[in-house]
Amino acid sequence: MTETAGNPVRDLSQAADMIMCDGVSKWFGDFQALDGITATIKEQEVVVVLGPSGSGKSTWIRCINKLEHHQEGQIVVDGVELTNDLRNIEMIRSEVGMVFQQFNLFPHLTVMDNITLAPIWVRKKPRSDAEDMARALLERVGIPEQAEKFPGQMSGGQQQRVAIARALAMEPKVMLFDEPTSALDPEMIKEVLDVMKELARSGMTMMVVTHEMGFAREVADRIIFMEEGQIVEVGTPEHFFTNPTEDRTKLFLSQIL
Amino acid sequence: MVFTTDSTFAESVPAPAAPPKTIKLPPREWIKQNLFSTPFNSVLTVLFGALIFAAWRGLLSFTFSHERSWDAVATNLRLMFTAAYPQEQFIRIWVCIGFILGLAAITVGAYAVASRVRVHFLAERTMVFGGVIGVSGLLAPFSTSATVWYIVIGFGLLLPGIAARTQIDEEATLPLMGLLGIAFALPVLSLWVIPYGHHALLDGELIAEPGTVARSSSGPWTVVLIISYALYLLVAKVMNPSAQARLKRAVVGIWLVSPLFLVFIILRDPAFDYDHIASVQVPLFLAYAILGGALLYWLTKPGVGEIGRIVAATVLLAAIGTFLFSAFGFGGMRQIVRILALALAAFALLAPTFSGEQAARRRYVRVWVITVLGLVWFVTAANSPSTVATLSDWFPGGFSVTLMVATFTLILSFPLGVVLALARTSKMPIFRVMSTFYIEIVRGVPFITVLVFFAIMVPLFLPSNMEISQIAAVVVAYSLFSAAYMAENVRGGLQSIQAGQHEAAEALGMTGTQKTVFIVLPQALRASIPPLVGQTIGTFKETSLLAIIGVFDFLFVARTLIPTQTFFLGSLKEGLLVVCLTYWFFTYNMSKASQRLEQRLGVGER
Repeated sequence: MTETAGNPVRDLSQAADMIMCDGVSKWFGDFQALDGITATIKEQEVVVVLGPSGSGKSTWIRCINKLEHHQEGQIVVDGVELTNDLRNIEMIRSEVGMVFQQFNLFPHLTVMDNITLAPIWVRKKPRSDAEDMARALLERVGIPEQAEKFPGQMSGGQQQRVAIARALAMEPKVMLFDEPTSALDPEMIKEVLDVMKELARSGMTMMVVTHEMGFAREVADRIIFMEEGQIVEVGTPEHFFTNPTEDRTKLFLSQIL
Repeated sequence: MVFTTDSTFAESVPAPAAPPKTIKLPPREWIKQNLFSTPFNSVLTVLFGALIFAAWRGLLSFTFSHERSWDAVATNLRLMFTAAYPQEQFIRIWVCIGFILGLAAITVGAYAVASRVRVHFLAERTMVFGGVIGVSGLLAPFSTSATVWYIVIGFGLLLPGIAARTQIDEEATLPLMGLLGIAFALPVLSLWVIPYGHHALLDGELIAEPGTVARSSSGPWTVVLIISYALYLLVAKVMNPSAQARLKRAVVGIWLVSPLFLVFIILRDPAFDYDHIASVQVPLFLAYAILGGALLYWLTKPGVGEIGRIVAATVLLAAIGTFLFSAFGFGGMRQIVRILALALAAFALLAPTFSGEQAARRRYVRVWVITVLGLVWFVTAANSPSTVATLSDWFPGGFSVTLMVATFTLILSFPLGVVLALARTSKMPIFRVMSTFYIEIVRGVPFITVLVFFAIMVPLFLPSNMEISQIAAVVVAYSLFSAAYMAENVRGGLQSIQAGQHEAAEALGMTGTQKTVFIVLPQALRASIPPLVGQTIGTFKETSLLAIIGVFDFLFVARTLIPTQTFFLGSLKEGLLVVCLTYWFFTYNMSKASQRLEQRLGVGER
């Protein structure tokens, strides 16, 4: 942990827009979960979304690959707008990798099949290519020897790393992380965060909902703070942790730090 | 059946990692801990011990009473199992039995070559068996000499059992296949040696003579035994591993398809008109196989896109059109042309789901060709006249009709039930409403009503030139009825799938079909094995309702036919006991098999 001083600020102003949200709103019945979210995420950018529970972070990230449907506003991913057209949605989903809090591995398939299923049937890759790639990915997330195991035979940290490998096997342009370490025992959090850090350094565009402040400080290019379905404050980790402007951000930081 | 029952105690060797040994208590300690741990438990043990003792004694005195005339069952075994099947055609039944046992031997050879059985396990079973025989000898109303014999045999089993249990190392094992071979060979050999007695009803004459059973029974069993064992040896010892692996995949398919062919061998043996086949069926098959195959090969190309969907939809419309517009010049069209068109449409619509690399596309086309072949064969066979001389429509009867109806109901109602369950949980309101309507209607009607309706009313409604044999109508009734219940069981499984599984599949960009086929259904079916097996066992036993529409089913033969025969007036109880035990034997093995399937698929360990 030599980078305690924080992530060196990268100049991404010339990079293309990867995700563009404009006035995105969503209601669950009468409850407004998202209230006019407007934000842009650049290519290769790592954005960490923070906020108290119930603030709409997960809902927002799930809207980006249409696991939730937004009712107002516009979401554009890699130049394609998310509409209700099914083929459009399937195409965007195959470009956007998602990692869930509860891993959601397929329990009836081996690790190898978990990773290769979508590349073979969605990307139409030859099986041998998909398997070679899966082996390389398992190597990358540090569990090359577990290919033939079933998810139920692995620890939580290993399962989450398989889930990351599964998402990467689709060669996505963006990775979404929905509280990837919240369901893990403390001693397993680090192994997952290390994989995510490596991924961030390799230039992957990432959007991460998390409560891991250390990770946010170290890896994020930008931090977005949300409360009650709105974006309250946006800034670099430096700005956010040392010199927040909004009172609600200060209150949040005082509660968790 | 030998194979399914006995492989219960099979242990695959080598095990990946030996589980920690459970500490075995000495017998006295075990009894103390498990049977007499508290005063209350001691009372319960004594009470229920006495109950089991009394029930066992009752059964024995019933079975071996002087009032029982077991000749009634022994003479009528043929009637109970095959009813009025013409005796000169029995070779067909032997061919089927031989086929099933041979296939079982091949399956075991391909799957369980290395299985071994612990000697201790065998020793324990032998001890229990010997003990039961010895005690039975004391309890049953035998003559003194018979009692002595039973006790001697009991000890003859008990003592070697104890010896093996105490002297032989706990880890020692024996090869499963050798034991199975012996377990199968001994009863068959005993047919030649032990005087079970020879019973038959010939032209109204009762033949009941001591001596071994007729050679027409022992001969075929011996041939079947030798063929099965030879097949096993061929598969397990001669074949190389890669051929074995290919065989493994093939046998599952053969098991699923074989009932269809076997029934045709037993019931009809169609007299094919080969000129007609060469001029009509073969060109038809080739046309669909080649043109349809080419179409599917193109449709499964990745990135065929919108044009593919349009073509598939066109095929579907054309297929539906052949059914609807028979009035406009399509009337003379053969039914098989329409059925194949519909099948092609289904394959075409599913093509994007299974598109992929070249090998996958070839596999898809191969499945299509096999489907066409099966359909053409089936329809041709069903339309050809039968060569088996029959006395009436109902010459199959007895236990064979039970097995046949149960097997076909399972094969037909399972896919239908899955489709109904998927429709009922579908997002499309029309499917949901139709499926719910069907399921609720069927579940609201007593089965007997459905049975009578299909057996008696449906043949009346059919067009005059269309005939449906009563057994086909009954199988349809059972399948439609059972499918509604199966659908509810599968729906339970579908609902047990967590939302996260759907989300994960969707997040990977899978289509709805891919999600259902690869993620949801495998897990849902696994979760619904116990209720599905319960439903299957229920259907198996409900076949006895066939007596209501005048079928000489197993129970009917024992309950009504045998007691009215001149020689065995009033011998009701013997037949009923045999019927009970036969039903029990089959249902018990079904539930045992399902338990093993559950373990294999790891239902409990998520």
